[in-house]
Amino acid sequence: MKKSLFTIATFARLNAKRFFRDKLAIFFTIVFPLMFLFVFGALTKNNGTVSFNVALINQSNSSFAQHFVEQAKSSKILKVDKMTTSLDQAKEKMKRSQLDATIVLPKGFGDIAQGVDYPAGQADVYYNENNKQGAQTLALILQQQFDVINAQHVKFVTPLSVDTKSTQSPSLNRFDYTFSGLLGFSILGLGVFGPVNVFPELKKQGILRRFHTTPLRVWQYFVANVISQGFVGLFAIAALFISSVTFFHLHMKGSYITFILFILLSIFTIYGIGLALGGWAKNERQAAPLSNLVTFPMLFLSGTFFPRYLMPEWLQTISGYLPLTPVVDGIRLIVTEGKGLFDILPQMGLLLGWSAIIYIIAFRVFSWE
Amino acid sequence: MADNIVIVKNLTKKYGSKKVVDGISFSVRRGEIFGILGPNGAGKTTTLEMIEAIRKIDGGSASINHIDVSEHPQKIRYIIGVQPQSPAFQDKTKLKEIIELFSAAYGEKVNPTEMLKSVNLEEKANEYVENLSGGQRQRLSIAASLVHNPKVFFMDEPTTGLDPQARRNLWDLVKSIQKKGITVILTTHYLEEAEMLCDRVAIMDQGKIIALDSPHNLIKELLGRGFKKERHVEQADLEDVFIDLTGKKLRD
Repeated sequence: MKKSLFTIATFARLNAKRFFRDKLAIFFTIVFPLMFLFVFGALTKNNGTVSFNVALINQSNSSFAQHFVEQAKSSKILKVDKMTTSLDQAKEKMKRSQLDATIVLPKGFGDIAQGVDYPAGQADVYYNENNKQGAQTLALILQQQFDVINAQHVKFVTPLSVDTKSTQSPSLNRFDYTFSGLLGFSILGLGVFGPVNVFPELKKQGILRRFHTTPLRVWQYFVANVISQGFVGLFAIAALFISSVTFFHLHMKGSYITFILFILLSIFTIYGIGLALGGWAKNERQAAPLSNLVTFPMLFLSGTFFPRYLMPEWLQTISGYLPLTPVVDGIRLIVTEGKGLFDILPQMGLLLGWSAIIYIIAFRVFSWE
Repeated sequence: MADNIVIVKNLTKKYGSKKVVDGISFSVRRGEIFGILGPNGAGKTTTLEMIEAIRKIDGGSASINHIDVSEHPQKIRYIIGVQPQSPAFQDKTKLKEIIELFSAAYGEKVNPTEMLKSVNLEEKANEYVENLSGGQRQRLSIAASLVHNPKVFFMDEPTTGLDPQARRNLWDLVKSIQKKGITVILTTHYLEEAEMLCDRVAIMDQGKIIALDSPHNLIKELLGRGFKKERHVEQADLEDVFIDLTGKKLRD
C-alpha cells in the first residue's frame, strides 16, 4: 500500500511538472478558456439595457431635425448606423436583419410654422414584418421623447401616468450564466480534449506499452493522472475565477471550500470520460470521432454557451442528465447563489453516479497499446 | 545440467489461423547473453513479448526463475527489464525524472545520478529527453529498464538505427550488464553483433527455431558439412550460417 502511494505520488508529481513546462498545454488549458471569458464577458457587459440598431435618414434642413439627429447618435438606446444614408439601403439592411428599424425625418420635419413658436412634424418609423415588436417599441420610445419635447412647448395636464419601480432583489445577470458555462467548458476541455489527444499519442510511441512491462497497475496510473489533472484543473479554474472577479465584477457568494470540492468532483467525473475515450482508442483516428460524438451534446446542451432555460422543456429534461449539466448548474448555485454542499446534493449525486459508470467503462476498455 | 533461468516449452501464438510462433522450445542459462536471430516476420518480437507477459500466450508455456508467465504476470514484471525496439519517452521530462518514474513504477526509490552514471549520461541528468541522440536514448532506456535490478533483461533489436560507434558502445554496455549477473536475451538483425555478444543464439524462421547453439559451434557445424566460401576458402562467419538456413529471398 505504501509502495503504491509512492508510485502514484511520483507519477502525479512528474505529470504536473511536465504540464507546466509545456507551453502548448498551458495555452489550451489556461489561456484559451480565458480568451473565451473575455470575449463572452465583453458581449454580456452592457446587459439590462435594450438597444436598437437603426438607420436615421434626415431629409429635413431644420435646426430641430439636426439637433434630433445629434442627440440620437449619442443615445444609448439607439445605435445609429452611420453608413446608411438612403431608405433603399436601409430597407436592404432591414431585410437582412442588420437593422431593427429605420427612422425617417421627412422634408420639413421640425420647421416652425407661421404663427406658432414651436417646431412640428411627423417622424416615420419603417420596419420589416418580422421585426414588428421591435419597431413598435421603438416608436413608443420616440413618442415618449417627443412627449417630453412637446410638454416644453405646449402645456398640458397628465392625469394618468405610469412609473416603474425596481424590486431591489438582484436577479442573475447574464455574466453569471457565462461564468458557470465557461468553467464547464474549461473542465470539458481539460477533462476530455486533453487525454483524448495525449493517450493515443503515448500509445503510438509505445510509451504506455513500456509501462505495461513494469508492475505499474492501470488503477495506479489512473489515480496518478486524476490527481495531476485535478491539480492542473484547479489552476485553470483559478485563472478564470480571478479574471472574472477582477474584470467582470463577479461576486462569489458561496464558500470557497465547497467550490473547490465541487470543482474537483467535476474534474474527476469529466476526466473519466477522457480516460475512457483516450484509454480505449488505439490511435487518434479512432479517438476523434467518438470524442466529438460524446462532447458535442454536452458542449451545446449543458449550458456552457447558452443557458438551458432558453431551451424547450423536453430538451431541458434530457440535457439535465448530461454529465456536464450538474457541473455548470452546481458552479452557478455555489458561486452566484451562495448555496452550500447540502443544497447541491442532486448535482453531486448525479456526478457521482456518472463517475461510477464512466470509471467502470474506462477500466474495462483501457489498453496499454 | 546447466541452471536454466528461462524455460520455454511449445510456445505458440496464433493470429487467426496463422501461427506466428509455432510451438518453439528453448532454455536460457542463468547469466548468459542469449540471441534470437531471424528475418523480419520470423516471430522474434512476438516471442519476446509473450515471455515478457505483455502478449497472451496461445499455447505452451514460459517460465522465468521458476515462475510461470501466464499464471503470475505481475510477479514476472518485478524480475524482468525490457528494452523496447524504439524507446520513446514523454517529452518535457528530464533524464533524472525518467529514472524516478521507472523506479516508482516498481515502488522503489533509487539514486537517479548513479543510474545515469552507469550508462554515461550523468552530465545530462537535467536535460529533457527530446534533446538526446538515438544512442543516448537507447542508453537512457537501458538505465530505466535496470532500475529494479532485474534477473533477466530483454532487448529487442537494441542497435537498429545506431551508428557503428554507438553500436560498439552499446555492446560494451551489454557485456557490463552481463557481468552484474543479469541474464540478457536480445533479438537482432546484425549477425556480427550476435557473433560478438552472444554466448548462444537461436535462429528463427517462420515461427520456428531452426538452429540453436553457440555462434562458434554453428559455424563449425556449417564448415563440417563441407561449406566453403567462394573467395575466402578457409573462412566463414555467422552470416553464412544465417543465410544458409533462412535463404536469400528478400522479405520485407
